[in-house]
Amino acid sequence: MFVSPFHDLEEKLRANFGEFAGWEMPMNFTSYAEEHMSVRSSVAFFNLSHMGRLRVKGNPKEFEMLVAKEVSKTNSGNMIGPTAFLNDKAGFKDDVMVYKVSENEWLIVTNAINREKIVNWIKSNSNLDVEDLTFKYGMIAIQGRKLEEILGKNELKPLEFKLNTKFMGYDVFLVSKSGWTGENGLEVWVTLDIGRQLIMDLVKIGIKPAGLIARDSLRQEMGFVLYGEDIDETITPVEARYWVFSLEKDFIGKDSLVERIKSGIEKVRIGFKMKKGERIIPRHLSKIYSLGNEAGYVTSSTFSPYLNRVIGMGYVNPKYFYLGYNLAVEIRSKQYDIKIDEFPFI
Amino acid sequence: MNEMKVGRYVVLTDRLYTETDEWVVLSNDNVVVVGITDYAQKKLRDIVGIELPQLQKEVKAGESVGVIESVKAAADIFSPLSGIIVEVNNKLLEHPEIINKDPYGEGWIFKLKASKLSEEKEKLLSPEKYIEKIKGG
Repeated sequence: MFVSPFHDLEEKLRANFGEFAGWEMPMNFTSYAEEHMSVRSSVAFFNLSHMGRLRVKGNPKEFEMLVAKEVSKTNSGNMIGPTAFLNDKAGFKDDVMVYKVSENEWLIVTNAINREKIVNWIKSNSNLDVEDLTFKYGMIAIQGRKLEEILGKNELKPLEFKLNTKFMGYDVFLVSKSGWTGENGLEVWVTLDIGRQLIMDLVKIGIKPAGLIARDSLRQEMGFVLYGEDIDETITPVEARYWVFSLEKDFIGKDSLVERIKSGIEKVRIGFKMKKGERIIPRHLSKIYSLGNEAGYVTSSTFSPYLNRVIGMGYVNPKYFYLGYNLAVEIRSKQYDIKIDEFPFI
Repeated sequence: MNEMKVGRYVVLTDRLYTETDEWVVLSNDNVVVVGITDYAQKKLRDIVGIELPQLQKEVKAGESVGVIESVKAAADIFSPLSGIIVEVNNKLLEHPEIINKDPYGEGWIFKLKASKLSEEKEKLLSPEKYIEKIKGG
């Protein structure tokens, strides 16, 4: 198992560690609810060093064939994303953020679980040069509504990034205005030495560390999918309602994707809320029913500290997809009402 | 209150334990207080809900009497002894996270009037034996 590069420092910050995608990472420091609310009302930082970070160089036409969104339409210094690498059946190889460095160089953030798979997939589908930067740099995300109040105004616009720049007085490899929480945020790629100093400085100025549980509840409030839970190689962007592609260009999986759109889909991703006061969480693959008929299954669910209720997402047959309609979810042989609602939940 | 530590887990010496990670405080009138251990709450991580035992219900030792919902999993709460449920900690319904904050104190879950205390007590684990059980966990 890989270990967080800031493990000893996080131990001092009283992290509770847990396994995620083959990494031992901080799950929480105090409680996920407090950490979650820090992001929604103030600011917090996350160590996301487990996420795969790749540098890809080569022929832009070859790269364009791998990515479902149009890379050529984005200016250098901007992110394309989220977008996806699809298999030839249009299932998700991974959902990724792509950073366009220049016409023939890109950085990619993959899900931790897919890093090696994506390196191999790029190599076997192109002549592009791939370098894995995951262990060279740490990645720290600073996220929250009061980001600029606390850290000062940042010149970057959403989805812009800068390479080899200064951040809080340190030389860093990359700063981007991005995140996965729905709030204002910055993500920084740093050498491990500087990462340690940066973490200590952030704590010193009162920005609290947050763990992966809070990151998971924050992304669920926004309706963002998690690879392995909500999407995988069998799910296409159409079923996931994850509009990460452009049909105006060619890419691996496009033909299948077009076919899927033409023929229609057998399941579609929904968001749902449980009744207020119901403090019971449907787990991954819990069955969803409509008036006694099996309608689908849950993929993610959590208790939202912001909404003070249980929220989740899953897939149902499109014939049951009515906004505001009540379905039921089965938990330990008992059925509980859930109401279909649209993302984001907040 | 004397406490012992095993790694990051705290075990108190003033009570007995179960194989299923409950703690039991014994008192004179055969009423015992039950909660889950620090080890159990840390393994479960953030607790977001609880189904409390049913008041006045007669239960057997080892019987599932409630459920704890955490962000990670749902876990049964087992009764450490046979008897009748005489009180439940209703505060946990609104604030189940108290179990994370204070598993051995404010986070107690239920009280039980034990019916076979003297014979069943022997099956509970001493703090030392409980430490052996969670070592390496």
